[in-house]
Amino acid sequence: MSAIHSTQLVFLAAHAPFDRMEPAHLLWMLERMRLAYYAQGEVVVSPEQGAVEHFMVIKQGMVQAEQNLANAVEEDTWLELGEGECFPLGALLAQRPVASFYRAGKDTFCYELPVADFQTLLGLSAPFRDYCTRRIANLLEHSKQVIQAKYTQSSSEQQSLTSPLSAIIRRAPIICSPQTSVREVLERMHASRVGSMVAVDDAGRPLGILTLPDVLVRIALPQIDMAQPVIGIMTTQLTALPPHALAYEAALTMAKEGFRHVLVVENERLVGLVTEKDLFALQRVGLGQIGSTIRHAQQLEELQLAAADIRSMAHNMLAQGVAAEQLTQFISTFNDLLTVRVIELEYSASGLLATPLADSLCWMALGSEGRFEQTLNTDQDNALIFTVPEGMTAARVRELLLPVAKRINDTLALCGFPLCRGKVMASNPQWCLSLEEWKSTFTAWITNSSQVSLLHSSIFFDFRALHGNKTLADELREWLLNIASDNGRFLHQLAEDAMNFKPPLGVVRDFVVGKEKKLDLKLNGIAPFVNVARIFSLATGVPQTSTLQRLRASSVKMNIPAAEIEAWIDAFLFIQVLRLRHHDEGKAKGLGDEELDNLIDPEELNELDRRILKEAFRQARKLQARLELEYRL
Amino acid sequence: MRQWLANLFGNKPELTEQQRLRLDAWGKIPPAPLAVPVNEMRCVVVDVETSGLNMLKDRLISIGAIAVVNGQIALADSFYIVLQQPVASHKENILLHGIGGSAQTEGIPAIDALLNFLEYLGKDPLVAFHVIFDQTMIRNAISQYLGFAFKHPWLDMAYIMPAINPGLADRLRTLDDWNGHFDIRNDARHNASADAMVTAQLFQVALAQARKRTIFNFSEFMDLEKSQRWLNSQSSYKMH
Repeated sequence: MSAIHSTQLVFLAAHAPFDRMEPAHLLWMLERMRLAYYAQGEVVVSPEQGAVEHFMVIKQGMVQAEQNLANAVEEDTWLELGEGECFPLGALLAQRPVASFYRAGKDTFCYELPVADFQTLLGLSAPFRDYCTRRIANLLEHSKQVIQAKYTQSSSEQQSLTSPLSAIIRRAPIICSPQTSVREVLERMHASRVGSMVAVDDAGRPLGILTLPDVLVRIALPQIDMAQPVIGIMTTQLTALPPHALAYEAALTMAKEGFRHVLVVENERLVGLVTEKDLFALQRVGLGQIGSTIRHAQQLEELQLAAADIRSMAHNMLAQGVAAEQLTQFISTFNDLLTVRVIELEYSASGLLATPLADSLCWMALGSEGRFEQTLNTDQDNALIFTVPEGMTAARVRELLLPVAKRINDTLALCGFPLCRGKVMASNPQWCLSLEEWKSTFTAWITNSSQVSLLHSSIFFDFRALHGNKTLADELREWLLNIASDNGRFLHQLAEDAMNFKPPLGVVRDFVVGKEKKLDLKLNGIAPFVNVARIFSLATGVPQTSTLQRLRASSVKMNIPAAEIEAWIDAFLFIQVLRLRHHDEGKAKGLGDEELDNLIDPEELNELDRRILKEAFRQARKLQARLELEYRL
Repeated sequence: MRQWLANLFGNKPELTEQQRLRLDAWGKIPPAPLAVPVNEMRCVVVDVETSGLNMLKDRLISIGAIAVVNGQIALADSFYIVLQQPVASHKENILLHGIGGSAQTEGIPAIDALLNFLEYLGKDPLVAFHVIFDQTMIRNAISQYLGFAFKHPWLDMAYIMPAINPGLADRLRTLDDWNGHFDIRNDARHNASADAMVTAQLFQVALAQARKRTIFNFSEFMDLEKSQRWLNSQSSYKMH
């Protein structure tokens, strides 16, 4: 008789994916596992051993996978695995040998499951399979739910997606008996203008649902007999939530299952129906209001209020676990709106709109703003580009523009976008240039790449048009891509420079931290992704400025598999969300914009986030490995 | 206690026909060869809980064991049993090992419990930390309930660890000391299963260390233990 002690279960259940597996499956796995010991330095698994024989989970200790340059882009290139982590997933799934040497970094105990049992377990347990096949995506999903749980506890009212479903249900559900004919159901749906019909039994218990999209595939195309009872063509596997469930649970359920409806059921009886539309409506109220406030603002005070609204909305979205990509898009979109409104107001106040300059100007966003990657403490980075009207000189145009630009910069600062410490702003005569002047400035940076020009190009080459004559920025972009992609030496130097920002993965500990025991999420987390994406985009002629789009678009031209790119993007977005959360928490503590930083103490992260962060840094390493390969660094 | 004394004076306990058959079947299993590498055999790491620390007066309450097969801990090849007690042990003791009064009286009747243990064990050698305690408690119980003298090969980690790590022997004495040093966590100390588990992990550490000194066979480990016992007795002479 086996007597696996509950502490073994408890240990595993504290780590993903085991925390989501059914206890019976966990026990099934444990019963087939053996605990092996590896003294520090001992090989745990190596390429020579042939196809991998065991799925391993570290109980105690640490395992390192050594870099294998020949396979620098392979999945397992560089790893440091800690307690609760499993490996080597890639090799197990592909039933091949591992690509690197796995060694015990310190004395280590590993649970080992024979590969045949691993395969069986993939079939048995959906959470386990999910985890193994989409590791980082899964960890992220997991973390999102943890965030939601945390914020729901701490945050205040007015969060629409955290209201209970009972507050969202608009009217009694439209119902029919299961024996009603298909024809009658369709007629009633049409008459009452609803997108769905639920069949209930005499006790009001839901039996099935028919929705409008079903009409096409289940009724119209197969041309079924309209007189038959509707229940025969209904979806009978119903997803139901209780009335006290929160709106975001419904949103998550819909997103996960791909449904547009969730039944609200109390004591088995149908009490309502929540649709995707109902949930979207909740979110749009807030967003729509802020947008219209900004577009119609006349006074600084209104804009300042709107800026505050953007921040609190961002806070709410963080709380609701809105995906990072959407979240950063949201912040950029509204910051853009706000900036544009400030520019419009200042242009018109200065009388500039009445001059011939009005059409030959373009305000550009640079740096993180240019990349659509602002957080809550982003400095201003902007510049002006213009064409010189007939009968004027560039110097004269500058004379007219600089005071206006100065007011715009100052107003933006009052709205919570701190002035750029490096003076990368349109009010700086250096960065208020004609198209021709910009071209010669860029040419100088590219041809004699000093440290300063490399730094400048990392800010300026992320420019995009924000307001005014967009064709000027487009022309500059097209010109830049031509010049840069031909200039191998410059790209090589950029690549070398990008390697200076290494992800802080430790050899002995999880992370390498400085004296203050902090990680810099911007320099060591975001920068590797941003820099490599910029180089790829310049090299392959991709005009986009956002890191995500640059990676996606250039990967196609570089034949990098989409799955690899998406893993990089997930990793990048996760670090970005950590930054946002860090800033959000700073704000909650009452820190001013200027006091917000990107330094976090990894010890303060929860176990899950720490692991995802490690995984994200590993992805950064992989991306850099790819860069090294491309540029033979 | 009375029963145990009775056994000493030759009173055989009464086994049912079936229990007798089970005991005979176990007796017929050939002894395991010991001049074999530990990495190619099965050893059973054991820990017991008792009603107290007095080996003469106190009773065996539970046995926890786990097998180390070919050097790896086989999680499913594990054993835990609570022996039915005539009276629950003292309250302080319950607090220590966490087996409540009702669980003790509800356990498996002692004869069946011990037969289960022997069948699980087979003739494979036993490993424990401070063998004398576990050995005495199991031997007394077997003598009392099954009526024979349990003679079995044992390996004592309390001697193996200092033998392999002479530099640490002065500082590290208890199971907790050694586990602490090698960073082996025990989340449920004083539970026989959990204690057997961490003892097995310590055994694995010892196996890896001994490999470097080309000690592989179980019998070589027993020799190592013997020499350490001798060494200890010499140093205690010196002290006196």
